[in-house]
Amino acid sequence: MADAPAQLFPEFLVDTFGLPGVLGEVVAALIAAFVVGNIVLAFTGVAGPWAKRKITAAFTDRIAVSRVGPFGLLIIPASAVQLLAKELIVPEGVDRPTWDLAPIILPASALLGFAVIPMGQIGPVNLHLADPEVGFALVFAFASIASVSLVMAGYGSNNKYSMLGGLRAVAQNLAYEIPLIVTAMSVVIFAGTLEMSGIVAAQSETLVSIGGFDIPAWYALVNPFAFVLFLAANMAEIGRNPFDIPEAPTEIVAGYQTEYSSSYFVLFYLGEFVHIFLGGAILAVTFLGGPAGPGPESISFLWFVVKVWGFFLFTQWCRSALPRVRIDQLIEIGWKGMLVLSFANLVLTAVIVGVIA
Amino acid sequence: MSLEPLDSPDADVIPDHTPEELEALLGDLVLARDDHLNAPGFVIRPDTVQETLSILKEQAGYDHLSLVSAQEYENRYESIYHLKKFDDPTQEVSVVVPADKDNPVSQSGEAVFRTADWHEREAYDLVGIEYDDHPDLRRILLPETWQGHPLSLDYDMNQPQIAALPAHVNPIQDHHRDDESDTMFLNIGPHHPATHGVLHLKTVLDGEQVVDVESDIGYLHRCEEQMAQSGTYRHQIMPYPDRWDYISAGLLNEWAYARAAEDLADIEVPEYAQVIRTMGAEMCRIAAHMLALATFALDVNGDFTATFMYAINDRERVQNLLEDLTGQRLMFNYFRLGGVVWDLPEPREEFFSKTRDFLDQLPGNIEEYHNLVTSNEIFQMRTIDTGILPPEVAKNYGATGPVLRGSGVDYDLRRDDPYGYYDELDWDVITEDGCDNYSRLLVRMQEVEESAKIIGQCVDLLEDWPEDERTIQANVPRTLRPDDDTEVYRAVEAAKGELGIYIRSDGTDKPARFKIRSPCFSNLQTLPEMANGEYIPDVIAALGSLDIVLGEVDR
Repeated sequence: MADAPAQLFPEFLVDTFGLPGVLGEVVAALIAAFVVGNIVLAFTGVAGPWAKRKITAAFTDRIAVSRVGPFGLLIIPASAVQLLAKELIVPEGVDRPTWDLAPIILPASALLGFAVIPMGQIGPVNLHLADPEVGFALVFAFASIASVSLVMAGYGSNNKYSMLGGLRAVAQNLAYEIPLIVTAMSVVIFAGTLEMSGIVAAQSETLVSIGGFDIPAWYALVNPFAFVLFLAANMAEIGRNPFDIPEAPTEIVAGYQTEYSSSYFVLFYLGEFVHIFLGGAILAVTFLGGPAGPGPESISFLWFVVKVWGFFLFTQWCRSALPRVRIDQLIEIGWKGMLVLSFANLVLTAVIVGVIA
Repeated sequence: MSLEPLDSPDADVIPDHTPEELEALLGDLVLARDDHLNAPGFVIRPDTVQETLSILKEQAGYDHLSLVSAQEYENRYESIYHLKKFDDPTQEVSVVVPADKDNPVSQSGEAVFRTADWHEREAYDLVGIEYDDHPDLRRILLPETWQGHPLSLDYDMNQPQIAALPAHVNPIQDHHRDDESDTMFLNIGPHHPATHGVLHLKTVLDGEQVVDVESDIGYLHRCEEQMAQSGTYRHQIMPYPDRWDYISAGLLNEWAYARAAEDLADIEVPEYAQVIRTMGAEMCRIAAHMLALATFALDVNGDFTATFMYAINDRERVQNLLEDLTGQRLMFNYFRLGGVVWDLPEPREEFFSKTRDFLDQLPGNIEEYHNLVTSNEIFQMRTIDTGILPPEVAKNYGATGPVLRGSGVDYDLRRDDPYGYYDELDWDVITEDGCDNYSRLLVRMQEVEESAKIIGQCVDLLEDWPEDERTIQANVPRTLRPDDDTEVYRAVEAAKGELGIYIRSDGTDKPARFKIRSPCFSNLQTLPEMANGEYIPDVIAALGSLDIVLGEVDR
């Protein structure tokens, strides 16, 4: 694994097709972004109408979609047509530009995050769009834009349930983003860099060798405490059980989504799923060695997919099994519990790294 | 309250009174005696209701106002307050309050029993008696624009209800804006994922906290009482009870009617039929409690919880057994006056072994629910110490069933006012004294185990029953005409609590007045006590823990 890191995806395109000058770089970047964006959207396409149903059904002893195509897979285009063909109902009194922008901002913010995620290699192609020095900070910044969208939707809908959902979303994101980022900082202390490729590279070193089998220094193994903390905060950040209270269908109907139908509804759902996958991707990069795994470097994208889908499966498992906490309990856990623990983890990590190194 | 265990003699216990002693206690308040089949009845003046009720409550220990029934006669209106004791529900007394035909005003009993609030509103709505001193005398089941009172004698049901559209109150129209306060008015329902039917909660919120909640019911009112009044005792009424608490508790409801009508017509039910009834009723209880667990998990866990499907799965298994027994999965119509409609399905051994298979795997499943639901720490955080209903408050509201037993009151008609075959069998009444959402769920889950015990014993009995003694129905005349002006009020322990039927006969083959005491109706009344001051999610959980069925609330 000592090879020089593979070229970034746009650079690879420039070299392969010999695209000249600045224009060439722009075209290559657009093509690369298009490919990566579609990979992520394909994830959500499979996850939303098909995998989610199958997974939930498996947890509850049912069969779920099985009639349309092999394994019911053709339900994906069928659902897409069905959802887009529905009437877009615009309720009276909605705050127009706000109400229309919210469903666009949510998936956009989550997709932006993938710009800096190293997604591994397929053959010679390294699916990594950009690797700025502040990549790690950038990805959290992008992911946080989502809460703006939820507030806009909650406020713009002119509906009390939406308003409650929007307010809950803000309260929740405030309470959990700080522990999330503080915990992530402990990883930065280990890696000594904010560069995504640097964090992944730091985890490829060997932690221990058991019987000739190298266990890599994934931060989930180096610091399992931080991993669990990060996982919990991540669940709250993406609003999944037991922290799905901004939606809480049995309490506030569907929260900020209540008034959305048709394509706007699809955009919201798309955004939520991309957000889950972004959460999984951040988790993979930060604690699970990014796209690293056994086998040649050229199939590492496969390992990335396994990790991200593993996280998705975990969210669905929690949804089937765990109760939802109450809003005041959620705030209490966030501010009184996780914030303290995350700072303790940060200080402890800093001391250990400082003393050893 | 005594701190001694229950079986020690309690110094506060009020001795039982004979009807004559009660008459002496009430003194001049009693105008006449009007005894019912189940209880002595005292006729009093319409302006002495509060005085009479409070004497009976404070001095004679009649602390349970089970039902207020109202009706119109040719020459008068009449409200009856059916009182019982929580310690011994076989101790009953009826307070009969006639009101003037032209000006039907009667004093409200709400000041003594909170539960009279809704019962009297219903009497006002359907019969037309006005209750003086009532805090909030509005229609409860019908819309405010309704013309006339449907159960009064001069009501013309052919006259169309003409009310211009603007006159109809749109319950979700008001903005309830108030510049002074910081509260928000929120309509929960009539269509909301967690209202378990069409229930409308008018909620006032301060942030996420509930300041006030008021239930608006009547969306599922189907004139069940009137329908029963236009059917004959023998066959035409029995299908209706299945439609009150339609969450597979059908046999329990049928038993309520059967018990009242059998007492009225003096019918003795053969023992063999009683055992079958007991077994079927407990199967229904398991099915109903499984659904209660399932929907409560929906309310607390979220709408994709696995618990829901697991519990529904168990309910399906009971329903398969009920289908074998009755031929139906939901609307059983299996009981007949004097017995049941047919014997166990042939081959009997197959039915017994299927039932035993179900009973054998039930403990394992209950264990799984405990692992998945009740021992989950987040679940405990959500349900313990929320939705508090103190025992005294529960009694005052006439709450019964698992709601009351979850508040630690040891009251179960199956044991305290025995019917069927229950007193011959070995089982326990479950109580939990947490008074919270968690306790109510625990009571239901343990009651499932007790029901399984009862079913197991019934199966053993039925298996050994001699073939020539399997009488499934008593000899009942084709047409039943109970004596003129006989009145009876009888209750059974249904899935949600005390389900009572009041019948007055007029010498014909149809009841002159048929009144249903719905446990959900009284239980739902306690919601503001549990919810005020709590958070929105707790209101939803409290509502779920009450386990209401709107078909039974609205009838």
